[in-house]
Amino acid sequence: MPTHTHAIRRGSPARSQLALSTLTLLAFTVVGCGGGGGRFDTNNCRDFDSVNCVEIEGGDSAALQAAVNSLEDDTTLILGPGVFVLDNQVTIRNADGVSLVGQGIEETTLSFSTAAAQINGVDVVGDDFLVQDLTVLDAPKDGIRVENSDGVTFRRIRATWTEEGLSTNGAYGIYPVKSRNVLVEDSFAENASDAGLYVGQCINVVVRRNTVRGNVAGLEIENTEYADVYENHAEDNTGGIVVFDLPGNPIVGRDVRLHDNTIIRNNRRNFAPGGTVAQIPAGTGTFVMASRRVEVVDNEYTDNKAFDIAIVSGLIIADDPAVWELETASLVGDWDDLGLLAGATQGTITNFRSENIVISGNSHSQSMPTTNYGLSPDFAALFTFLYGNMHSDNIIYDGIGESMFDAVVAANNSNDNHICAGGNTDGTFANINALSQLSAPPTAPILQIADAPFAPYDCTAVTGGALVLPEL
Amino acid sequence: MSRSFVGGVRSTRAHLGLFGLALACVASLPSCGGDSSPGLDTSRPPRVSLTGSIPQRLSEYNLLAYDGDGQFRYNDRVVPYDLNTPLFTDYALKDRAIYVPDGSSATYTDEGVFDFPVGSVLIKSFSVAADLRTPDVDVTLVETRLLIRYEDGWRAFPYVWDAAQREAIYSPAGEVRAVPFIDADGVSQVANYLIPQRNQCLSCHERRVDGVTLTMPIGPKARNLNRDYDYGVDGGVQNQLTRLAAEGLLSGLPSLAEVDAAYAFAGIEANGVGSLTGAELDDAARSYLDVNCAHCHNPNGVQGVTSQLFLNYDNTDDFRLGLCKRPGSAGSGTGGFTFDILPGNPDESILIFRVETEEVGAMMPLLGRSLQHRHGAELLRAWVAEMPANDCSAAP
Repeated sequence: MPTHTHAIRRGSPARSQLALSTLTLLAFTVVGCGGGGGRFDTNNCRDFDSVNCVEIEGGDSAALQAAVNSLEDDTTLILGPGVFVLDNQVTIRNADGVSLVGQGIEETTLSFSTAAAQINGVDVVGDDFLVQDLTVLDAPKDGIRVENSDGVTFRRIRATWTEEGLSTNGAYGIYPVKSRNVLVEDSFAENASDAGLYVGQCINVVVRRNTVRGNVAGLEIENTEYADVYENHAEDNTGGIVVFDLPGNPIVGRDVRLHDNTIIRNNRRNFAPGGTVAQIPAGTGTFVMASRRVEVVDNEYTDNKAFDIAIVSGLIIADDPAVWELETASLVGDWDDLGLLAGATQGTITNFRSENIVISGNSHSQSMPTTNYGLSPDFAALFTFLYGNMHSDNIIYDGIGESMFDAVVAANNSNDNHICAGGNTDGTFANINALSQLSAPPTAPILQIADAPFAPYDCTAVTGGALVLPEL
Repeated sequence: MSRSFVGGVRSTRAHLGLFGLALACVASLPSCGGDSSPGLDTSRPPRVSLTGSIPQRLSEYNLLAYDGDGQFRYNDRVVPYDLNTPLFTDYALKDRAIYVPDGSSATYTDEGVFDFPVGSVLIKSFSVAADLRTPDVDVTLVETRLLIRYEDGWRAFPYVWDAAQREAIYSPAGEVRAVPFIDADGVSQVANYLIPQRNQCLSCHERRVDGVTLTMPIGPKARNLNRDYDYGVDGGVQNQLTRLAAEGLLSGLPSLAEVDAAYAFAGIEANGVGSLTGAELDDAARSYLDVNCAHCHNPNGVQGVTSQLFLNYDNTDDFRLGLCKRPGSAGSGTGGFTFDILPGNPDESILIFRVETEEVGAMMPLLGRSLQHRHGAELLRAWVAEMPANDCSAAP
């Protein structure tokens, strides 16, 4: 079946002309836009200002794959309403300016339910990529993965798996990685066995108004710099919204703001099949790990059973500092103003430390009395020891890297990591002195401070100037 | 004068020599070769146009013909070759050939893929045998993939053979095909054989160098080509590099004594992993990882770089090779284990788990394998077991 690609004609053709061209092309399931397109109700070729545009009948998987594998730059693929049953991934390569647009998440679905190959749903490398108004269902691996691309937009899409809580579900739903200028908005990520919405190793990111539900980790910002994450809704995940660096990745995370999100009832049993994410305790609202210049402000935390916000060192998951060494020559992005700790090896820095973090203005409400710390034995033992069946303090700080700790007299504690909780009007704070606690069995008491401003953690702003956040 | 090669679908082949047929061809008969070799006219050079539309039929290139019974015939300046250690793809049988246009040649390099001139084509055909105990009987030719060297780099073009085994049709959309076969042990298996989409070719053939994403061949490196090949009546057994140079397809070849050779995997298939000495075991395993994994797992890999696990032969960093290294975001790929390689302990090494499992989402390599490669897995298992035991409680 030939694929017709034509330049979009600007302006509306006469009605009769459109009808005629549609009739003429009825024999083809792939219809070029030379006649103006416009067969579909919501999105059609007339709406998109691209050089090439193809409208594909709903469900015509062969036509979709033929079009995708014959792409030229600046092409929009409009998918009609219906279910595209696919046994192989939708792979976009060798073309910039590609848009993949359906008729809405309830109308257009790419279904991989019967796919036997080890594939993602939509797999993209290409600058200026847009995916909009469609659902990706039951991808064997990741739902929509966009890698090494500059200018990436996810808009009103859904990545989901039919069965909730299955460790055999795919890993990531919405997954931009190693990309720049990434916008994810008004989208849904559900039932992923790792992270629903995973922004990994990106620079300049806006994530807003999305819903993440039923995943192990709802929304992750990993090794990413300059990210504004707001008005998202994280519910019924194992962990809600988290910010962290992993060891070995060449972008040092920085300048991340989570604000005005709702993080609610993230108590789901951890169903990850393995990996770092399997260590997230059920009942986690937010953790900030191995991160710097992060603000967690004005969010609403409700009924997360383990803790609302934890600030932890990367040594919690990988306790050998050598693992966290990064050669400065290999780093990508901005890092040299951060005052990162040098590694033991010449020419390296480390990024395990969490520092320069502001927690402020969040609301905390807890109506669930019992705890469920999930699969992580270390965390479970520690939290059970510290809190029994009580809800933990709202803001937990592991205290790793502090030079002074005193569980009784708050003023005798250091704040070397510049952890700021001074602007809070709500919530409680504890330094759990985790490093000595985790040298089992836990014995040392914790520092609990019930009332703001939580001196010596009473600072209210990051150092080094206000966060730099992108506008996309 | 034209000359043609004929090759079977097995890695060691007997060449039947249709030399005389080629001589009989004349330019005015484009269908010359006729019944036995549809679509190949050896009196004319291959047609590789870098402009215009993509040929819809493989025969339009005039590179090769298939006789329907396991034999390929190649045009002049199209030279067949094998690799010391090949990439495993669900026990598919492979026929490879290089075409370099007349008047130009590829430039030899010790490291990496030769520098091929514009217009060169790497040809790889995939066949499946109904019973691997008799791999030259009841063979179905499935697809032929072309990598063509353009001015701005390589581009991939997949062709799928028709049921009559006479013509292959340009098939950018790919296909997943259930292929039943009997394996070398007589066990019935079904491979979910993946004919990749055109764009999927890049999953393996993509490199990122200085911020630019390039499409690159994988196999034709000096150390992997440095082996003998039986050219049949057309020269008998010769070293492949020597032959390529003699045919004018390769320039700058140093003395063979100076060229490294990857481990010849056929030795394991013939004699088992137990036949290898310690040094051979390391060489064989690193050669296997280099071809089967390092197209992603190298510092310039696009998909694999995230893992920071680098399995290229020339990587000398044990930690990046996986020893006592924790995975980044392996998801279900860990099998519940902690380290990529736990030295001395293959049962608790993620790398071994991932090459042995047939579980979707955990298998490595990502593409082209739905079944375990038994000899490959045995090799890697023995390699890890042979390492000095280390519980990884201290930094490597």
